[in-house]
Amino acid sequence: MSATGTLPVARRPGGASTRRLLANGTFNVFVVYVLLFVILMIKQPDTLSAFGVTDLFNNALPLALAAAGGGLVVLTRGFDLSVAGVIALTNVLIATALPDGPWGAVLAVAIAGGAGLVVGAVNGYLVAYVRLQSIASTLATMIVCSGVALLVLDAPGGQVPDAVVYGFSGVLPGNVPVSAVVALVVVLLWLALRRTDWGVAIYAIGADETAAALAGIPVRRAKFFTYCLAGILYGFAGLMLSAVTATGNPNGGTTYLLLMFAAIAIGGTAFSGGRGGVIGSMIGAATLTLLQKVLFSAGVSSFYTGIFQGLVMILAVVIGAITARLAEGRAR
Amino acid sequence: MSGLDTARIATSPDERRTRRPRIGSDAWTVIGLFAVTIVMILASRLISPSFGSWDQARAILVLTSFVMVIAFGQQSVILLGGLDLSVGSMMTLGGILTFSWIGGSGSALIWGIPAVLLVTGLVGAVNGLGVTFFRVPPFIMTLAMGIIIYSVALGITGGTPSGQAVPALGWLFSHRLFGIPWVILLMALFAVLGTIFQQATPFGRRLYAIGTSPEAAAIAGMPVRRIVILTYAISGAAAGLAGILMVGYSGGATLTMGDSYLLPSIAAVVIGGTSIVGGRGLYAGAIAGAFLLTTLSTVISSIGIAQGWRTIIYGLVILVALVLLREELSLWFLRLRSRGGR
Repeated sequence: MSATGTLPVARRPGGASTRRLLANGTFNVFVVYVLLFVILMIKQPDTLSAFGVTDLFNNALPLALAAAGGGLVVLTRGFDLSVAGVIALTNVLIATALPDGPWGAVLAVAIAGGAGLVVGAVNGYLVAYVRLQSIASTLATMIVCSGVALLVLDAPGGQVPDAVVYGFSGVLPGNVPVSAVVALVVVLLWLALRRTDWGVAIYAIGADETAAALAGIPVRRAKFFTYCLAGILYGFAGLMLSAVTATGNPNGGTTYLLLMFAAIAIGGTAFSGGRGGVIGSMIGAATLTLLQKVLFSAGVSSFYTGIFQGLVMILAVVIGAITARLAEGRAR
Repeated sequence: MSGLDTARIATSPDERRTRRPRIGSDAWTVIGLFAVTIVMILASRLISPSFGSWDQARAILVLTSFVMVIAFGQQSVILLGGLDLSVGSMMTLGGILTFSWIGGSGSALIWGIPAVLLVTGLVGAVNGLGVTFFRVPPFIMTLAMGIIIYSVALGITGGTPSGQAVPALGWLFSHRLFGIPWVILLMALFAVLGTIFQQATPFGRRLYAIGTSPEAAAIAGMPVRRIVILTYAISGAAAGLAGILMVGYSGGATLTMGDSYLLPSIAAVVIGGTSIVGGRGLYAGAIAGAFLLTTLSTVISSIGIAQGWRTIIYGLVILVALVLLREELSLWFLRLRSRGGR
């Protein structure tokens, strides 16, 4: 990572030239998404129906929320594996411990946010204050969480209250998917957050932690709260997953682990920290879920879906890097 | 990871004093891990009298060999500042190829094993090519490669690999020299060779240099790209070797045989004190980490409690080991020792 551009937040939005757009990982992944979307529309003309759009948002949102949280941690140059555990834990809690009716939905939000916050706080404490390697300590918390999930529900089953299912995977008046509103809220919160001191600190820590500490940024506190926020987002990912699947599965989180990191990377966030953003991670997640849908509708044998998935992941990153380099070259 | 940077700043005067025993701090982690593991084996006697015996220790050592072999490749890649998420699928690939190419024929071993290692090594080299020439982040490159390998294996085998058990490989596990299974002796040799490779060969030392700063290594005239590609090839071949061993141990191959080894391979390396951002760590640490993880899961799986509790204990012990063996503590140990020496 170059020393220049270590603080993308310092760049003022607005007046974005083509060059800046091309150098922006978020824009690149958005183009990939639109391409896939067009292919899907040709294959399945009903994609743009209210049902089709709701379906797209519902399928993408659990991974997108997870990627938003994981992306935050990656920005600080950390790795957070606990996502798999938190998703499994909130999923089984929501599928077993809730009354039906509107209170069930309110409690579900509280449980998802609360469980995520607790796990995130433990992660944050271990990484920021005990100074363990993030990948190792979050691996341990992930394992503990999946153990607790197994205690709550030892086999797939349970019943997610209808209020949660319809409340979070349904549509609002005017055919607006609830999941789209949730996604929009997260995006708006992120846009606000990155303008705060905390947001600046997240980028600064990822770019150069030592320099950030010397510049007077409260590194430990900023890291701690980043893991907390990430935990809450994983919790909500578990909530959305419960709403979409309507059932509990103590092993349901594991598929999200690697996919989440893939989404973050495709979304243009650098694993070396300090570069990228949450919106890119979320679009990256949406792209991955859309890709599966496109491959399915194109009639690719499910045996070979993985080959295309792998190739598209690599290509998305390579094309993003090439356009970014071209754009930078033109700027010089 | 990056927390270490601030730790270094904070303790820089101490560090200057203890510069020479820097390796010492890593070695303390290794010794600590082995000590924790042995205590765990002995303590398991409290659970059941049949535990803590030589038989059990032998069984654990045999099981450790798979993680230990994969962890060598994984650790070399992590030393470079990379990560190899394809090792699980690569192990499966190695197992499936061994199962179908070698089978019951003892004479096929002679060409079969090198062929399997070559194939997995070449696929690993493709990872390296992607990382160096196409600048794909290692995380994405190896994750995608893992998915692709799995998918190809699934397509070609149709879900169930066909082949035959390899008795010659099973022999490694069933026959003993002075009461020690041959596979353990082989692993001891592997550990020694692996350590020599990383610590005493120019190639090994360059791994540390590139992991610390690829730019500086390139300026110093190191063929960075070639070394990176070769290291990913080594990781592929190591995972392939684990697949070969697994066929010998289990007598068969399945499409998921490598899956459960991906996270342990990374965990063993990181628990063993290797920095995930590269440039620092010992293979002995990864071996100790593999030994700890295998012992832990073996001991826990024999306790008659719910799966959930077992999983929780597994995670908590890893956490405790991490907290006990963190860097500040080993530095403190060293300081204590040097004070006592004065």
